Amino acid sequence: MGGIVLIDETKEADLILSRLVPLFTAQWHCRYRLDVVNNQYGHVFNFFLDIQRQNHRERSIPLHSVRTTDLAVLERVINQVRQGTALTLNFVDFGHVRWPVSQRWIR
Amino acid sequence: MDYTHEPHGLFFMIDNKSFYASVESVERGLNPLESIIVVMSEADNTGSGLVLATSPMAKKLFGISNVSRQYEVPHDPRIIVVPPRMNLYIQKNLAINKIFREYVADADLFPYSIDESILDMTKSWRLFGRTPEEVARKIQLRIRHELGLYTTVGIGENPVQAKLALDLQAKHDHELIGRLTYESFPRHIWPITELTKVWSIGRRTAAHLQRLGIHSMGELAHVNPYELQQTMGLIGAQLFALAWGIDRSHFTQVRPPKEKSWSNSQVLPRDYRVQSEIELVLREIGLQTTARMRHHQQQTSCISLYVGFAWDGQADDGRSGLHHSRRIDPTDNAQTIIRELVTLFRENWDGQPVRNLGVGLSRLSPSGRLQLDLFQDPQRQIKDDKFDRVIDDLRDRFGKTAVIPASSLLKGGTMLRRAALVGGHNGGNSFD
Repeated sequence: MGGIVLIDETKEADLILSRLVPLFTAQWHCRYRLDVVNNQYGHVFNFFLDIQRQNHRERSIPLHSVRTTDLAVLERVINQVRQGTALTLNFVDFGHVRWPVSQRWIR
Repeated sequence: MDYTHEPHGLFFMIDNKSFYASVESVERGLNPLESIIVVMSEADNTGSGLVLATSPMAKKLFGISNVSRQYEVPHDPRIIVVPPRMNLYIQKNLAINKIFREYVADADLFPYSIDESILDMTKSWRLFGRTPEEVARKIQLRIRHELGLYTTVGIGENPVQAKLALDLQAKHDHELIGRLTYESFPRHIWPITELTKVWSIGRRTAAHLQRLGIHSMGELAHVNPYELQQTMGLIGAQLFALAWGIDRSHFTQVRPPKEKSWSNSQVLPRDYRVQSEIELVLREIGLQTTARMRHHQQQTSCISLYVGFAWDGQADDGRSGLHHSRRIDPTDNAQTIIRELVTLFRENWDGQPVRNLGVGLSRLSPSGRLQLDLFQDPQRQIKDDKFDRVIDDLRDRFGKTAVIPASSLLKGGTMLRRAALVGGHNGGNSFD
């Protein structure tokens, strides 16, 4: 935080995917989901892996925080993450806004 | 009681409601008061898992308390289980204290624990509002707006009143603010009969008081203080002062402890039965403690060893562990200290399974120069001394695991896995 920090989107996406791989064990009766949280308090976007086995407690494991408030940066990170995993992405606290480049709704 | 000569200040004791769980809620975009979050440590030595923190809702709906075990937490899909991130909580604590510094001078802020701080507002509160409550509200809202966290404020004329106001009133108050004064103290505190609820009264002290026929704070306030001191010692006098809300401590005049010492201990991830494995961990702890001491340019002339037996391994005579100390020639050399520790261990250990190990170094003196031993090769001694210092430098520059004894890779070693922990728990992802 503070000052201009250049963010290497490829590096960020790789880090997220590399942490995701050992955690995503693809069990039966288990829902896996990537949570992307717009944390206004920390001025960061947080990534979590959410695992819910049927009738069990939900587990939420932090993967990474991207230190920016720039949606364009996040969009590029997300695009690269999507190339590495087919998991559902769940966007939290983004409100009703569109991605800056693709102009699709964020959801 | 005449309070005119007691200190009349204004103190805030501020704590974070379910701190770890609240931080984790905010990070996930959830409201800390509504989320059902359990922070669970899965460090090696916590068995199946240990609950470090629970959100208020998890407490309310499922009765999960801190230090519950993993298997005590119900399997309910509404509960979210998250791993701890100690480094993140430290960051948030620093951010909170930074906000506090806008309301008091640096010298009047006293961090008390990871989620509690004492603010001496005596000199500054009038700058921020008409009543102490108004100022407290302002601080609460600042923290809520900037960090998303809810704080609880206890207000008192001295630190102990602020602490009791926090523990006994604020936590149950709708606005999360409680206030005690010398005048209102008897009204609010004396009816309390559950003595362990009161700060500084533990289970054993409460039992002692019960035996003396004291069953409420009011009764404690009305015993003869001299008799109480006679039966309970200095603590008796302290308790009497507590019952009247009197606290004469001055934070600015902190008394250093009479004798400092260095110690480290750990709970082992399982019962250790093999001598070589126990000695391995003992060496690791010895190394760590010695390194800490050397960092402060000190040497020790008394080593102590604590061995806690596994729950089912208690000695025949019912002992749950052993504790031994030995005087040695002043040294800061790790190998010497470890040799003495291992000897002490071998002399006293009888084959019981072990679950806790601790090492203490006391009777400290400034090290600075090396005292050569007449009966050993001086070159060797100088070399040993240099060796330790090079290792220290390497670790300072490249991290705790830059150089480790090869033995730590053997079965039973805990050093490597513990090096990544903060306060014994997961520090969180790196590069975040």
